Amino acid sequence: MSGFSIVFAKECIDNLRDKRTLFSSFSLALLGPILFVGIMVFVLERALGESDDPVEFSVIGAQYAPELMKFLENGNTEITNRDPVADPRSLVLNGDESLILIISPNYEERYTQGSPITLSAVFDGSDLSSTRRNLSQLHGLVNQYGRVIGLLRLQLRGIDPSIANPISVQDVDVASPAARALTILASLPYFLILVVFMGGFYLAIDTTAGEREHGSLEPLLTQPISRAQLVLGKVAATSLFGALSLLIFLVSLFLAIPFVPFDRIGMALEIGWIQNVTIFIIGLPLIFFAAALLTVVASFAKSYKEAQTYLTFVILVPTLPLIITQLMNVGPSLPLMFVPSLSQSTLMTDLIKGESVELLNVLISFSTTSVYAAMLTWVAVYLYRREQILG
Amino acid sequence: MIHADGLSKSFKKVVAVRNVSFQADDGKITALLGPNGAGKSTTLRMLATMVKPDSGRAKIANCDVVEEPMAVRQNIGVLPHDSGLYARLTGIENVRYFGKLQGIGKPDLDKRIEELTERLDMANFCTRRTAGYSQGQRVKVALARALVHDPQHVVLDEPTNGLDVMATRALREIILNLKAQGKCVLFSSHIMQEVENLCDDVVIIGKGEVKFEGSIQGLRDQSGEEHLEEAFVQMAGADESAESTK
Repeated sequence: MSGFSIVFAKECIDNLRDKRTLFSSFSLALLGPILFVGIMVFVLERALGESDDPVEFSVIGAQYAPELMKFLENGNTEITNRDPVADPRSLVLNGDESLILIISPNYEERYTQGSPITLSAVFDGSDLSSTRRNLSQLHGLVNQYGRVIGLLRLQLRGIDPSIANPISVQDVDVASPAARALTILASLPYFLILVVFMGGFYLAIDTTAGEREHGSLEPLLTQPISRAQLVLGKVAATSLFGALSLLIFLVSLFLAIPFVPFDRIGMALEIGWIQNVTIFIIGLPLIFFAAALLTVVASFAKSYKEAQTYLTFVILVPTLPLIITQLMNVGPSLPLMFVPSLSQSTLMTDLIKGESVELLNVLISFSTTSVYAAMLTWVAVYLYRREQILG
Repeated sequence: MIHADGLSKSFKKVVAVRNVSFQADDGKITALLGPNGAGKSTTLRMLATMVKPDSGRAKIANCDVVEEPMAVRQNIGVLPHDSGLYARLTGIENVRYFGKLQGIGKPDLDKRIEELTERLDMANFCTRRTAGYSQGQRVKVALARALVHDPQHVVLDEPTNGLDVMATRALREIILNLKAQGKCVLFSSHIMQEVENLCDDVVIIGKGEVKFEGSIQGLRDQSGEEHLEEAFVQMAGADESAESTK
């Protein structure tokens, strides 16, 4: 057995025995997809439900405006008639009603006079449920009715109704439930990158700053093993746990994704095993890169705690650009492929969306990130050759 | 045989060790004696190939510590200041890890570990994880780890630190046993009685420099003090107090 494999095996066993740390490094990989699918189901169910749900509200004084009521009832509404009460506000405040439309007794009188009529809508603006949607739909319905009356009146007086409508805006909302789903899906690569870094997070600290803090580095350095083999064994162990973390994430996602009602929004999203394997292969150099980067930074830290602080920032570095590119909607381009974490995440985004990725892009991403990983590993070896590593 | 010749080492502007020369022979126990901060640990670290001397040379069994570190590491067993065990591994696993790194094959290693378990009386705790060990148990495992490849040279950095009377006695037996086997034992200490009971030769270090090298009897003769602690204070402490009044 070479020194490399002895160190590798020892670090793996050592880390596997730390159950609590193990769980916290893999928790994101395990629970992330479940959380992710949960959010998707929630958002999609809402998006799907909204268009069908009737508008719910109560009416006080329905008998004063039978024509308006007939119009409202013809819409997609669910109306409850209520007897007049002294203070309708209290009905909303104590939660008996969420939205009340009040028609005043002088409605008929003002209507025949042609005077403006004001209706009241009582609601609780801090209520985050469907009240706001019901309110805006009710506004729409009442405005529509009002417009029809207005047009009729203008016509009766022999005036072209369009004169009262010099400019109008027509809204064309193309956001479908599928588009919403894609927006959420685009955050998936962010998770993927984070999971790769989290998997090796604690091991990278334990094998470097932790080892020094516990005093075991000193005797270890008196063993007849080259520093290169020693560091490679440590980086390899950290990589293995990064890879395990990614694997757990992909399996968890693979099992959870069928729960999202993609078929109901007319989307044929498939994160099958081919996509999973491709994502894993694209992610491989990033796993090494992450392990080497974490090891190098943790080697500078004097204590476990200090290393934890440093590495928390290190994890932010590869994930921040992802958020920016996601906001700017950047697709895979050749220069981007030279940037680790960015290249992987854009490629993964395309794969998840079911689009094909260019082989050249994959090759560049794979090879450049591998080179960076090798360079960082060399830096780690260099750090371990210096006496300062003993602290 | 351990041979140091003019070893010097500075960390940034602090001179830790200045022109240290001494010799530790096979079949003898040599003490590196000095007050705290005298440069004992730095000297031992240079001998154990952990840090490189700025100038001077050191040889372990005719292998230069700078030029042939790998050969030196196979020939030396080091008990560090802090036992430095892996808390999540058992005592045996700690020893086995270093045995493997020394390139010992499985059958030999198993035999060796069994032997050390018996010799160091570790049987009743060595299969537990080291997290809950007493200081005495920790030192035993660390010592077994240092001896796993049966090195000719054994370097111990303040081994009795934090040990109770029983554990100190047990450790003394082990060290005497190593001497009987013809090993070259070098250990650092700041406790005179310990040295008096155990050592053949003594090297006194103060402020990074060798103040005395020779036998215990030689120390008595040179200082003119029958009481060794007085002799030690005279040799090493004189400059320390001069330093502090400056």
